[in-house]
Amino acid sequence: MKQSTAHIINEYGPFPNVDAVHGVTYDGAQIWFASGDRLNALDPASGKTLRTIDVTADAGTAFDGQHLFQITADRIQKIDPGSGRVVATIPAPEGSNSGLAWGEGALWVGQYRDRKIHEIDPQTGAILRTIESNRFVTGVTWVDEELWHGTWENDESDLRHIDARTGEVLEKIEMPPGVGISGLESDGRGQFFCGGGGSGKVRAIRRPV
Amino acid sequence: MDSLITAAARALAAGDPLGALNQVALRDDAPALALRGIAMAQLDDFARAKALLRSAARAFGPRETVARARCVVAEAEIALASRDLGWSPKSLDAARAVLEARGDQVNAAHAQNIGIRRLLLLGQLEDVEHALAGINSTFYPPALKAAHELVLAGVAIRRLRTEAARAALIRAERDAQLAGIPALMAEVESAAVILGTPAARLLKNGTERLLLLKDVAALLESDALVVDACRHAIRGADTVVSLARRPVLFTLARLLGEAWPEDVSRDTLIARAFRTKFIDDSHRVRLRVEIGRLRKLLRTLTDVRATKRGFALVPRHAEEIVVLARPVEEKHGAVLALLADGASWSSSALALATGASQRSVQRALESLADADKVQSFGRGRTRRWMLPPVPGFTTILLLPASLPGS
Repeated sequence: MKQSTAHIINEYGPFPNVDAVHGVTYDGAQIWFASGDRLNALDPASGKTLRTIDVTADAGTAFDGQHLFQITADRIQKIDPGSGRVVATIPAPEGSNSGLAWGEGALWVGQYRDRKIHEIDPQTGAILRTIESNRFVTGVTWVDEELWHGTWENDESDLRHIDARTGEVLEKIEMPPGVGISGLESDGRGQFFCGGGGSGKVRAIRRPV
Repeated sequence: MDSLITAAARALAAGDPLGALNQVALRDDAPALALRGIAMAQLDDFARAKALLRSAARAFGPRETVARARCVVAEAEIALASRDLGWSPKSLDAARAVLEARGDQVNAAHAQNIGIRRLLLLGQLEDVEHALAGINSTFYPPALKAAHELVLAGVAIRRLRTEAARAALIRAERDAQLAGIPALMAEVESAAVILGTPAARLLKNGTERLLLLKDVAALLESDALVVDACRHAIRGADTVVSLARRPVLFTLARLLGEAWPEDVSRDTLIARAFRTKFIDDSHRVRLRVEIGRLRKLLRTLTDVRATKRGFALVPRHAEEIVVLARPVEEKHGAVLALLADGASWSSSALALATGASQRSVQRALESLADADKVQSFGRGRTRRWMLPPVPGFTTILLLPASLPGS
């Protein structure tokens, strides 16, 4: 297993009226992050919030190339980023849902204290399969056919690349002490975007090569 | 970081404890237990809230120190809200240190505010002022700022600094509105009522008149010699003689103060100060001894001169002598004054706050209950006392967020 220490490239925020950053995703141009009562679109170049969508946004956020998906209390809402309209709603799995990712044509839901990642049917919310982790799971993301997730346990966080079939940990990036990861997304290239929970920050971290 | 927990926390912050319970009612993991506890506290079920927060603190792992510390702070605030003051502030201090070290400045400040509010309720004003001196409240969020201003107002009221109290209450009102918490606004409002309510009674030359807090402050600033029956002290321009631990001497001083410039007969003094109707020579001897003691204690302020039929006060510098008494003179005034905050108190907390023995507080409470002036609920150690409810009186609970890492 490869192991390294996180290299923080960039730090955004804290933002006005944002108490905590939950889910994070990336649509190819802007970073979207969930902050309780809304979704915020952040320009990674300028660090400015470009627009917001008024929708309850309690945990993970994902983007399938067309729509945003947002965990809200006990459900997952599918949102048109253009109009901000909720176009569909499916039930979220039972448990402490935290992270959300799009990959392999399915949604992946990280469950915090349950230490699990579920692959679910994006039309019905049915659980297709479950991967067990040995740490509390926060954000989840797919990059280049690699499944990564954040952990936050005992006030410590790291980023893990795991085998999507077995759950085996292939690589680990440790965050500095006191820096937590809530939501997680990659830009598809050399960076991860990490929600910083109650710090109200979004951080960009170098993806090791 | 967990959608239902976040949703429940969001509901709690918006003052919707039932909405919060709705999200986590069926969950028994540590963060859910903590949020259920906070919701129950906001619903005034303090016993259930305390039990839930205890089990939450146990359910968090031993290394989830921040989450556990927040549970300790929440539990201390519940204890404060239920006027259970007998706890040791040690674990609260330890929790505060953990939060401070882990960068949770807001909850650390919240813990500090709870500790100070406890001292204020216990009347330990010097400790409160000492603690307040080291506080920089500029980074506080509005709710915490309002709570801080309420403490400042509380100290100013007890110190009779009415202008400072009014200014602090105006700031508290603004901050409470910014925070948007109705219970907090109500608390500020009820604190402000104190400034417009008679705080004391002035007895002078056989007349009586009610005084507002600012009048009391002005009186104590004046040149009059004040026999202060609220605090059992004699106050001159720059000398205060406390007779709090000399009840007989204070009774004599008050009788003489009320009669000034006239004298009071020996028989009246004996009957009232020694509480007896049958007067013999031994009482006269005892009166002479007690007057001698009083004369010695008050010698810089006033002479206690013997007259034909008794004794009279002759002030040394002051132009007049007045008596300051509670607005409504009744037995067990100290206990009633504490209960007037509208919260429920244990008899042990009342004993701590009044400095009286628990047994005598219990006797006072029982006789007040017989007169329907107080009511109680619970039994044994969990028995609590309060005044019959006044509409609109609330107790703030600004419980800390309990999300690990949030």
